[in-house]
Amino acid sequence: MTPMERLEKVFRVVFDDDEIALRPEMTANDVDGWDSLSHTNLILSVEKEFGIKFNQRELLTFKNVGDLLRSIESKL
Amino acid sequence: MVTPISGHDLIADNQYNIGHICTRHQCELGRADKLAMKWIGPRGETSSHTFAQLDRESSKCARVLLDLGLVPGDVFFIFLPKVPEVYFAFLGALKAQIIVGPLFSNFGDEALLDRMSDSGARAILARKSYLKKLLRIRGQLPELKYILVTDIDEHQGDGVLSLPKLMSTAPDDFVAPLTPPETPSVLHYTSGSTGKPKGALHGHRSVLMQNRTVREVLQLRDDDLYWCTADHGWVTGVSYGIIGPWSQGVSQIHFGGAYDPRQWFELLQNEKVTAWYTAPTALRMLMREPDEFFREFDLSPLRDIFSVGEPLNPEVVLWGRRLFGKDIYDTWWQTETGAIMIASRPGREVIPACMGRPLDGIEAAIIADDGTPAPVNEQGSLCLKPGWDSMFIAYYKHEDIYRSKFKNGWYFSGDTARRDEAGNFWFMGRSDDVINTSGHLVSPFEVESALLEIEGVAESGVIAAPDPMLFEKVVAFVSMKPGCEWNEDIELKARLHVSNRVSTMATPQEFIVLGNIPKTKSGKIMRRVLKARYLGTELGDISTMDV
Repeated sequence: MTPMERLEKVFRVVFDDDEIALRPEMTANDVDGWDSLSHTNLILSVEKEFGIKFNQRELLTFKNVGDLLRSIESKL
Repeated sequence: MVTPISGHDLIADNQYNIGHICTRHQCELGRADKLAMKWIGPRGETSSHTFAQLDRESSKCARVLLDLGLVPGDVFFIFLPKVPEVYFAFLGALKAQIIVGPLFSNFGDEALLDRMSDSGARAILARKSYLKKLLRIRGQLPELKYILVTDIDEHQGDGVLSLPKLMSTAPDDFVAPLTPPETPSVLHYTSGSTGKPKGALHGHRSVLMQNRTVREVLQLRDDDLYWCTADHGWVTGVSYGIIGPWSQGVSQIHFGGAYDPRQWFELLQNEKVTAWYTAPTALRMLMREPDEFFREFDLSPLRDIFSVGEPLNPEVVLWGRRLFGKDIYDTWWQTETGAIMIASRPGREVIPACMGRPLDGIEAAIIADDGTPAPVNEQGSLCLKPGWDSMFIAYYKHEDIYRSKFKNGWYFSGDTARRDEAGNFWFMGRSDDVINTSGHLVSPFEVESALLEIEGVAESGVIAAPDPMLFEKVVAFVSMKPGCEWNEDIELKARLHVSNRVSTMATPQEFIVLGNIPKTKSGKIMRRVLKARYLGTELGDISTMDV
């Protein structure tokens, strides 16, 4: 599986929606239920799936799925 | 210029129908071509709707619901984010005298099931991406006949219907039947510390109080552009995002996106918002932005800022004065009261951290544990003398619980407060275990039940803990079954499970593992003991604890 496919799997579990199809330009406005509280669940789930950790400063730089994916890939 | 409505011309010919008053009645008063709503989507897309359009679209919705066989008194839920269809369907259902229950779009299937099975809902309006949740629980909802979907073009069978298709052939000239004031209108589910959520039911009469408070507290004017940030799943989003302002013919914006400081302030500036009703958590989040951020924006048209949902800390009031040169007015009320009861308001001195005073005609009191009025400045139960126009008329199908809220001629709000020598009220806390997180009431029982569904969890106890941003946060204590150990994987599973089964708002911010959860000898969770343990305070009387 590519990192994008693994990330999509995480999104589907966190937001309880098997039909989520990720695109790099997607933001919280494109995914039902992506609010500040579910964002914490998302980050924890990404960290677990990829075995990585984000620091607070990195979290503030994520504006869309593409930013998140690039950060994941840089840590793999 | 249209003459503003006074309390006297709100009701014409004894017609109390909220759907009619917010649409057709406004047209009859000369506001047909006036902007009722400018909807702004998450990506900045917009659509504008006059009162005449609001009238026509809501009439079509009324016709759709009646043609499907719903009858007055049936329950119809709206399960959508902030999109224009929410407002058309809400007002349409009320025109047809159908009881309408707005739901948070982040509810999980357990939360949906509780509310829909308790009310025996006949239909629900949703969007396609929510269908999965609804279809998962549909087998347990024999009374649910229709799922109307806003974003499919064709009917899917088995009662899953395209709203656009139904609307395309519905006539738009529906006339609301003459609706007596006691006719049931809006059903809002609210959390208690025990058992499932209860449906607080209001009557069409509530419009009297919602309209009055819009005039007397929010002091909205005919030329205002007003923004209430609350979601319609929250009572504020209904009483002051729909009924109050539109019954007064006030133009509103509705923003379909999430909290984003820049987007919010661009919206306040670019739309020239004149009155803004928001929540302390949002204001506290804004306080994290540097002062320079706010200096970028010209908010000169903004006259007044109001707050609701949680106590407004003094720091927020002082911040508002410093940055905007304005007071932020606190308002206190709750789902059951239907409208603002106690408030600070423009034209009166604002005392930071003070709730303000009751509206004229609203009798509020602080009642001590012995049932007598508490002395000045002493904490007690915040109570109201029943009979105000927007008072809830029932907990739907739970008459006994409704009656239990009234004692010795007072309605007990569940909040505690004190009253000072001048008659100002000061919020102190809750008298029960309900958690107020970001203005949303979360039932510890619902969270505890969801946690017990996690493999390995033997017991759970959930409490409210103070939080500088959320006012209160959800803290969960768990004990594990023999041979099972709590770890990061289980914690993540628990977070996701609560988010998806109950709601994201109910997600515990902290988990604490104990050997066992303190309970009374009769098996009741002693949340008081858990809270004392968390806060490091005295445990109090533990003579009934099972050891």
